[in-house]
Amino acid sequence: MSKSFRAFGLAVSAVVLTHLPAAAQTKVTNEGISASEIVIGTHQDLSGPIKGWGVPVANGMKMATEEINVSGGINGRKIKLVVEDSGYDPKKAVLASQKLIERDKIFAMVGPMGSPTVLAAQDILLDAGVLQLFPLTAAEFTFKFDAAKPQERLKFNNLLPYVESTRAALKYMIETKNFKKPCIMHQDDEYGKNVLDGFNQQLAVMKVQPASITSYKRGASDFSAQVAKMKSDGCDLVVLGAVLREPIGTMSEAKKLGWEVTFLGATPVNVLEVPALGKEVVEGLYAASNFEIPYEDTAKGKVKDWLVNYKKMFNADANTQAIIGYNAVMTFAHYANKAGKDLTGQKMLDALESGDKFQDIFNSPPTVFSKTNHLATTVTQVQQVKNGRWVLVKDNLMF
Amino acid sequence: MRFLFKTDYEDDIKLFPHSGYLVSYGILLALLLIAPYVLSSYLMSQLVFVCIYATVGVALLILTGFTGQASLGHAAFLAIGAYTAAYLQKYNVPFPVYFLAAGLLTGCIGAMVGFPALRLQGIYLVIATISFALIVEEVLARWESVTNGNEGMRVKTLSLLGVAVPRDSPTFYFLCLAVLVLTIVGTLNLLRSPTGRAFVAIRDSETAARSMGVNVALYKVKSFAISAAITGFAGVLFAHKLSFISPEMFTLQLSIEFIIVILIGGSFSLHGAVLGAIFIVMIDPFLTYLKDDMPGIIAGIAAAFGAGAQEAADVQSRVAAFASLNGLKGAIYGIIIVLFVLFEPLGLYGRWLKIKLFFQLFPLYKRATFKRQKIYVKSERNR
Repeated sequence: MSKSFRAFGLAVSAVVLTHLPAAAQTKVTNEGISASEIVIGTHQDLSGPIKGWGVPVANGMKMATEEINVSGGINGRKIKLVVEDSGYDPKKAVLASQKLIERDKIFAMVGPMGSPTVLAAQDILLDAGVLQLFPLTAAEFTFKFDAAKPQERLKFNNLLPYVESTRAALKYMIETKNFKKPCIMHQDDEYGKNVLDGFNQQLAVMKVQPASITSYKRGASDFSAQVAKMKSDGCDLVVLGAVLREPIGTMSEAKKLGWEVTFLGATPVNVLEVPALGKEVVEGLYAASNFEIPYEDTAKGKVKDWLVNYKKMFNADANTQAIIGYNAVMTFAHYANKAGKDLTGQKMLDALESGDKFQDIFNSPPTVFSKTNHLATTVTQVQQVKNGRWVLVKDNLMF
Repeated sequence: MRFLFKTDYEDDIKLFPHSGYLVSYGILLALLLIAPYVLSSYLMSQLVFVCIYATVGVALLILTGFTGQASLGHAAFLAIGAYTAAYLQKYNVPFPVYFLAAGLLTGCIGAMVGFPALRLQGIYLVIATISFALIVEEVLARWESVTNGNEGMRVKTLSLLGVAVPRDSPTFYFLCLAVLVLTIVGTLNLLRSPTGRAFVAIRDSETAARSMGVNVALYKVKSFAISAAITGFAGVLFAHKLSFISPEMFTLQLSIEFIIVILIGGSFSLHGAVLGAIFIVMIDPFLTYLKDDMPGIIAGIAAAFGAGAQEAADVQSRVAAFASLNGLKGAIYGIIIVLFVLFEPLGLYGRWLKIKLFFQLFPLYKRATFKRQKIYVKSERNR
């Protein structure tokens, strides 16, 4: 009796021991990989408040998919991209993610849009072992992971985080132009808060007092109160944690008051629409940025071809958003290619964490991940609007 | 056709007027109980959202449908419930406690909103509730020590009696279903009580209600409080289902969605809340399903009508291109709502009653049966 008990005990402990290390392993799905296809999914805001981002990002992703497929796919496998509309609604994002996992059996979620939408659906992806790659939000939860939670290793991001990019750009501006009274006007949401955090952290390090901190509600169109306050506080540099219309609105308000001041936008300000819509009002505006924005008449080689192709395909001019979407799929393809012919989830994860460099055609800083770092880059540029175009002022900035 | 012969008041307030009700609701409940073991977690997620939206729909029906007080502020009540849960959870308060606390707090705040609303009618009340919702949104964004501001709050997995209940588990679905069923049964009882009768009297004519001795102010505040409390309960479940909450989730858009729930479902019966919730939650996945599968089906039909393989493939790719147009889903959704408001003001449940009556009375069905009978006194018409 006691012998059999001991044997039973041994068996149990053997089972427990062999399963313990397995439990700490990251589970990665092998769904969506067939002999001829790799299925990837994404949810975008195609009909909600930020469709100005969602639509071109989805276009860029479609274009990359088509390019890869025309040139023979990834080790012979074509990419199938399934795009769902979340309308920037977390409930729809949750449902869309479940649909992509269960019905479409995606291998990876690439470039999903928005902070609340990505965060609400994140656990569902990770629990199913689906990689969450390069979401369109630079929030910390998309790349910071807890080593004790193995499923969290499935998160990777290649966007430039707002906090880090704001700090790097602000540091450069204060050091080179010797500003004494920096101010900030930020959007009253999670993105604006990130820019504000970056602003405060950098000023604390540089021992500079912020002269004025103001905010506005998303969708606001009148900035006279904020501008008047910043002017009376004597600001000499205004950081804009704003998106698209607000830099234009703020700068025209400042012009109206005859206030000569320097403006520095966070990365979302660095889009084509700002100089295109703002015209002479935004001349001289600085912005933190990730990569140089190409223009069709000055672009060369691959970038030129890309711009022409995009216009042909979607009947619209390519913008930063489209480049980000395009790069998301291209980055995925690069690492899937590296994972080899017998692609599995585990091999993909290893390839991503291998430290291999991905260099895009737009001359962005290279993308590199490692076992401990799942954020591609924090290298920032500063650009300025000159004659209606974004022009590089300084690159390779860090804080 | 069945004729119900009622001999006393007890017959009139029965929850199940005859055995047919017991059978059909019994079957429905049985189906809902086995659902998690049959359906995929994608469909189960939709059902959970239906339960949550239907609970809010019932709450809104109490206030708008039965007391006649319109509200575009229910997203704020949902937010208060959700944030109370998320905040108390941080201090390891057990689920039953913060669930009740969320309902209680939201109910109190609902009563507070009810007081100033006493003097307001119709469109002015709607404006007041919108302002309340905006204030709540602002407070959630500003009160960073409690709400974590615009960064939002993560909501941990629900723990019930020491057992983790993940948001995709059958247990969580059963919890949501139980809350919905209890809410519906409670509301049915409420409507059969003097309080419920007073609500309906206020809706139909405030002057008449007052002259009958109904304390209008008291019952309006009660209605607000009850409606808010139920929405607060739903808010707790909503927070757990989404696992993350931030102020930008609880906007006017969400309040409008709740109004659409009862408009589409039918604002004169509790069935309306459930049918409306099913519509609001499932229309999007349904349209997605059509988007994915229609091209193949149409190509199949084309092939059946003698189209060649090449032509069928051509048709398929063209339909697929049309189906994935940006914003098409939104357009269809909007058109459906417009059509409902124009042609079916009684909502889905009204349509169901009409269909049922059509077959019961066949061939004697009269359209005029559902014509609006109520004629308001002139002084109340334009409020």
